[in-house]
Amino acid sequence: MPMTNDIDQTIHRIAAIIINELKLEDVTPETFNADLDLVDEVGIDSMDLATIALVIRDEFGIRIDEDDYPKLTTIRIIGEYVAEKQRGGE
Amino acid sequence: MSGQATAEKEWKFADIIAVPAIRDRWEKVRRYFFLRESTYDMTNRCNIRCDGCYFFNGEKQFATENLDESAWRHLMEAEKDRGITFAVLAGAEPSLVPQLCQICAENIPLGAIATNGLKAIPRTIDYRIHISVWGNDATSKAVRKADDMLGRQMANYRNDPRAIFVYTFTPHNIAEARDVVKMLADNGQQATFNMFSAPVGYTGPLRHTPQTLTETREMMTELLTAYPQSVLFSPYNIVAHTHELGLHALFSCSYPRMNSSTAIGLGRSFRQYRTDLQWDREAACCVPDTDCADCRHYAAGSAVVTARMYRHATNPDTFSAWLDYVDTYLAVWVRGYEKGPNLGDYPVAPPMDSPKTPPLSL
Repeated sequence: MPMTNDIDQTIHRIAAIIINELKLEDVTPETFNADLDLVDEVGIDSMDLATIALVIRDEFGIRIDEDDYPKLTTIRIIGEYVAEKQRGGE
Repeated sequence: MSGQATAEKEWKFADIIAVPAIRDRWEKVRRYFFLRESTYDMTNRCNIRCDGCYFFNGEKQFATENLDESAWRHLMEAEKDRGITFAVLAGAEPSLVPQLCQICAENIPLGAIATNGLKAIPRTIDYRIHISVWGNDATSKAVRKADDMLGRQMANYRNDPRAIFVYTFTPHNIAEARDVVKMLADNGQQATFNMFSAPVGYTGPLRHTPQTLTETREMMTELLTAYPQSVLFSPYNIVAHTHELGLHALFSCSYPRMNSSTAIGLGRSFRQYRTDLQWDREAACCVPDTDCADCRHYAAGSAVVTARMYRHATNPDTFSAWLDYVDTYLAVWVRGYEKGPNLGDYPVAPPMDSPKTPPLSL
C-alpha cells in the first residue's frame, strides 16, 4: 500500500509540474488523466519534455537520460520511471 | 561568471535560471520552442555550379521537378496540419521559383531560404534569406564560377532586413574571411558562419583538418570580437562548429537520418522533401548526403545543439553557452528575432550526456 501511495503522489506532483510548465488550462493535478499520451494527446514536444525533465531532476533528485525521452509517453510512465530511479534502478 | 566556480558545484536548474541574465534569456528563447521545421528542395536547377555543393550529390538531384502550384499548396497545407511551423526552402536555387516560395510563405509564415543571392527574392516572401558566401570574389570565381559575387549579392539585398550572409569556411578561405566580413559589416549587412562539411564519398580538397579547424576557430573569434553587431555567432557556436569531433559525435544528431525514434522531436516531425514532393526517412536531415562524421553544418547545429538542452543545464556557464547558441540560432533563422549580447565570453567545453563522463576538452 505505501508503494501505491508513493507512486500516486509522484504522479500527482508530475502532473502539477507539467501543468505549470506548459501553462495548461482547464486541468488540475487531480483531473489530469495519468494515461494520456503526452505527445499525441497533450501536444508536448522534445523541448517541453526537456524542460519538464529538468524540473523533475530538481524535485526528485534523479537524472533522466536523454535516450529515455522517447519512453516517457505518459505521466504514469514518468512516475514509474522516477520511482525506479529513486530506488536506484537503471 | 567564473567557469571554475560554477562547474564544481552541483546546480539545480531552478538555481541556474534564478540568475537574472540567464532567466531573462531563458524566457526569451523558450517562447520559440513551438518551432517545428521541415525542409524543401524547391527546384533541381541552379544558376551556378559550386564545387562540393551538397545538392548535386546523391540521388535527390535526379528527382523530377514539380512546378505545379496547386500541388505545392496542398503540400504546405498538409505540412501545416501536421504541425510544421517553420519551412526551410533550399536546393538547388529557390530564387528560380519565387512563385513556389510565395506559396510556402503564405501557408507557413515563418521560414528561411538558402540562396546564392544572385537573383533577388521578392520582398513579399518574408522569410529570412540566407545568402551563401564561399570567400572573396577570386575564390568565388574559382569555386563557384561566378564573377563579382559579393557585390551582386549585396546589391540585391541592400537594406533588406531579411538578409544574412552565411560565410562557409573551407580550408582555403580562412584568412580572406577578414576582408569579406569587414566589407559586409561596412555595408550594414549581417553575417554568420558555416563550416564546409564533406558530402559522403567526397575526396576533394575542401574537407577540414585539425589544423584548419584551429585556424578557423581563431578567425571566427577575431571576427566575432571585431564585429559584434554584424556577426551573429557566439563563443559556444565557435566551439561546437570547430571541434575536432563533428556535431553527431558531440551531440548525437536528432534528425531522422541518424535517429530511428519516431516518438518525439525531430525524429517524429522532420521531413526533407525533394523536388518531386516525396521524402525518404533514411535520407531525412537538413543537409542530406553530407558525411555525418564530418558534419559541422550551421543548419544541423541549429537543431542538434538546441535539442540537447538537458545536458547543458549543469551550471550557469554551460547553460549560458547553450542559451547563446539558441539565441544565435533564432536570430539567424527567424525574421524579427533580435539577438542579445552573448552571456558567455569564453569557450565552454561541450558536455557529454552522462555525468559520469567528464566534459570534452576543447
